Amino acid sequence: MAVTEPHLTPEPGAVRPDLDRKKSLLSQIWEHRALYAAISPFYILFAVFGLFPIGFSLYLAFHKWDGIGVMTYNGLNNFKYMLTDAEFWQAVGNTFMIWIYSTIPMLFFALIVAFLLHAPFVKFRTLFRVGYFLPNVTSIVAVAIIFGALFANNYGFLNYLLQSVGLPVVEWLNAPWGIKVAISSMVVWRWTGYNAVIYLAGLQSIPQTLYEAAKIDGASGIQSFFRITIPMLRPVILFTVITSTIGGMQLFTEPQILVGNDGGAGAAGMTIVLYLYRESFINNYFGYGAAVGWGMFLIIALFSIVNWKLVQGKSS
Amino acid sequence: MIRRKKTCWTAIMMVCVLLISGCSIWPGQDDSANNKKVALTLWYWNRSIDDKLIAKAREQFPNIELTAQKIGGDFKAKLKTTLAAKSGEPDIVALNDWIMELFPSEDRFYNLYDLGAGDVEDQYLEWKWKQGVTPSGQMIGFPMDTGPTALFYRADLFKEAGLPSEPAEVSRQLNSWEAYAAAGEQIKEKLGGKVFLTDNIGSVYNQVLSQGAERYFRPDGSFIGMDSPLVRTSWDTAIDFKQKGLLANADGWTPGWNAAMNNGEIASFVGAVWMKQVLQEAAPDTSGKWRVARAPGGDGNNGGSFLSILKSSEHPQEAFELVRWLQSPENQLEQYQTLNLFPSAPGVFDSPAMKEEEPFFGGQATGSVFAESAQHVPDAFFGERYPSVHNIITRRLNDVAKQNADAQQVWTDTVHRVERELQR
Repeated sequence: MAVTEPHLTPEPGAVRPDLDRKKSLLSQIWEHRALYAAISPFYILFAVFGLFPIGFSLYLAFHKWDGIGVMTYNGLNNFKYMLTDAEFWQAVGNTFMIWIYSTIPMLFFALIVAFLLHAPFVKFRTLFRVGYFLPNVTSIVAVAIIFGALFANNYGFLNYLLQSVGLPVVEWLNAPWGIKVAISSMVVWRWTGYNAVIYLAGLQSIPQTLYEAAKIDGASGIQSFFRITIPMLRPVILFTVITSTIGGMQLFTEPQILVGNDGGAGAAGMTIVLYLYRESFINNYFGYGAAVGWGMFLIIALFSIVNWKLVQGKSS
Repeated sequence: MIRRKKTCWTAIMMVCVLLISGCSIWPGQDDSANNKKVALTLWYWNRSIDDKLIAKAREQFPNIELTAQKIGGDFKAKLKTTLAAKSGEPDIVALNDWIMELFPSEDRFYNLYDLGAGDVEDQYLEWKWKQGVTPSGQMIGFPMDTGPTALFYRADLFKEAGLPSEPAEVSRQLNSWEAYAAAGEQIKEKLGGKVFLTDNIGSVYNQVLSQGAERYFRPDGSFIGMDSPLVRTSWDTAIDFKQKGLLANADGWTPGWNAAMNNGEIASFVGAVWMKQVLQEAAPDTSGKWRVARAPGGDGNNGGSFLSILKSSEHPQEAFELVRWLQSPENQLEQYQTLNLFPSAPGVFDSPAMKEEEPFFGGQATGSVFAESAQHVPDAFFGERYPSVHNIITRRLNDVAKQNADAQQVWTDTVHRVERELQR
C-alpha cells in the first residue's frame, strides 16, 4: 500500500499512552487515576459484597462454625457429610422435580403468550405486556400466602372447587407431589410473563422479509413457525432455559413460606437452598451450609452446561 | 491546568467512594465523656416488654439514658449476626427459649450472679431460673415470662360427648394421657367423627416430653439416648393418638389451624398460657365455650423468655439494676395484665389480677390453673443441641401422621438420623 494514513502516525512530541510500552502498568493507572476512580465504585462494591463472601464461603466450607464462637478446621468433613446425607440428596431430587414441573409449562406458556402479543390483531399491546410482567414484580411473600390459601388442605380454594363439582378433596400440602405442584405453580405464575416479554423481543427481531419470502415460496403458517420462528428464536430460548435453570436451582422463598423451613410433609418441598438455609441459619452449621452452597454451585454449573448442549446442539 | 483539574476530580471521586461505601473518615466522638448519664441500649421484640413499663423505667432511673429498640423480623438471626460481627451489640438483650443455643458462647455474656442476681433468686420459680444458668454455672439469662401448660378444651363439645365439662372434674378425670385418649375416642364416637380430640402429632409429642425432667441430654452434654423412657413414652403416645384417629392434622400458626379451631373441629389441645391469646384471635366465634383444666399427664412449660447483659456492655451494673427492676415481681404482674405475659415470680400468683374471670373462657379464672401448673413444672435440662434433635423427631412424626409412613420404620430411621446428627 502506497497510501499513507497520516492520522495513525503519532505526531512528534505527543505520546499515546496506550501504545507506550515503556511505562509500567501502575504508572499508567496512576496517570488515568481520575478515570479509574470514576469506575471504582463498582469494583469496590463487588469486592466487598461479591468477591469477599465467595472467598469466605470457600474458606468456611472447610471449617466448623456455629456463627458466633471459634471456627475450627474440619477438612473435607463437611463435604463428606453432604455427600452421605440422605436429606441433601432428597433436596437435590426435589429441586430437579420442581424445576421440571415449573420450567416446561412456564416456557411453553411464555412462547404462546409472546406469540399472541406479537400477533397483528392484538390491541393495547403495552397494557398486556405490563399485565403479563406484573406477577414478576409482586412480592413473593404475598404470592406464597395467596397460593397457600389456594392449596390449603382444609378450606383451600382448590379443594372448594373440587368439592363443589363432586370430586374428592386432594390433600395438596400433605402429598409429596402436591407440594411440588403448589410450588411449581407459583414459579409458573411468577415467571411466565417475564419470559414472554423476552420471547416477544426475540420475535420482534426476526426480519419480516423472511416470512414474506416463505410466503412467496408457498409455506404455510405452521411451516414458517417451525422453520423460521423457532430456529431464529433459538438463542433466546437458550437464554431463558439457562436463566430458569439457575433460578430453578436457587428456589427458596416459595417453599419456605408455603411449607416452612423443614420443607413440609415428608420434606417434599425441601429445595437445595432451603436445606442450605436450614442447616446454616436454623441449625447453626455455617461451615456445612457453605459446603452445600459450593455443592449447589457445581450442580448448577453442570446442569447449565447440559442444558446448553441440549438446546444448542439441535441447531448445529 | 489539566493536571489540577484531574487532581480535583480524583479528590471528588474518592470522597464519593468513601461516602458510598459507608466508611467514616472521622472517628465518632465519645458523647459519654461529657455527659453524666449512663447510656444503655435494650433490644426486645414486640410484646415482650410493655412500652409503658419502659417509659416508667426512664423515670425510675434518671441517671440512665435508655435506648429501647424493638427488633422486628428474625430476632434470633439478627442477634447472632451482631454477636458474630462483634460490633453494635446492645447492652441488654431479650432472649427467648432458644437461650440454650447460646450456652456455648457464655463468655459473650455477663454472669448475672457476679452482678448480684443471687439476692433475688428465691423470688423466682426454681426451674425457670435454672434455664438461664449454663452447665458451667454461669447465669446468663434473667427470668422474664414463663409458659406453663394446661388443657384447653371446649366445654360444650365435652358435654355433648358425655364427658365431664367442669374444669375441676376434667382435671380429675383426664389426668393421664391414656384417659385423655379414651376421652378422644368417646368424642369421635358420640359426635359422629366430625370432631377431633386435638390438633397435631407434634403437639402431642412435645407436650408429653415437656412434662418430664430428662430430655435428650444430661447437663454434662452427653446424650441420654433415644431409648430414654421419656422419649419413648412421648413417641408412643403421639403414635397412639395418630392410630386412634384423634388428630385433626392442623399445624399451628396456619390458617387451617385457625379455621379448625373456629369451626369446632378440634375439641381440645394442651398448650402454654400464651395460647390463650392465640386462641382468642384464631377462634372468635367460639368465645365462651372454652375452658382450661390441668393438662393430662402433668404440668409442663413451653417457651418463656429471658433478659441478658452482653459482655460488650460498659455499664453492666447499671444494666443489671435496670433488668432487675423491669422483671421485679410487681412489674411482671403488671405485664401479665397488660400483655398477658405470665409471671415467673410465684409471689404474685395470689394477687387479685391473677384471678380475674375471663369471658372467652366462660367466666373461668384461668390464671389460677396456670399458676398451679407453673409451680409444678419439672426441672429440665435442655442443652444446646436440643433444638436440632427435637426438630428431627417432630419432623419424622409428621411423616407418620400425614403420609401414613410405617411408625416402626420411621422410628428406626429417626434413631439413625439423630445419631448422625450428634456425630457432626
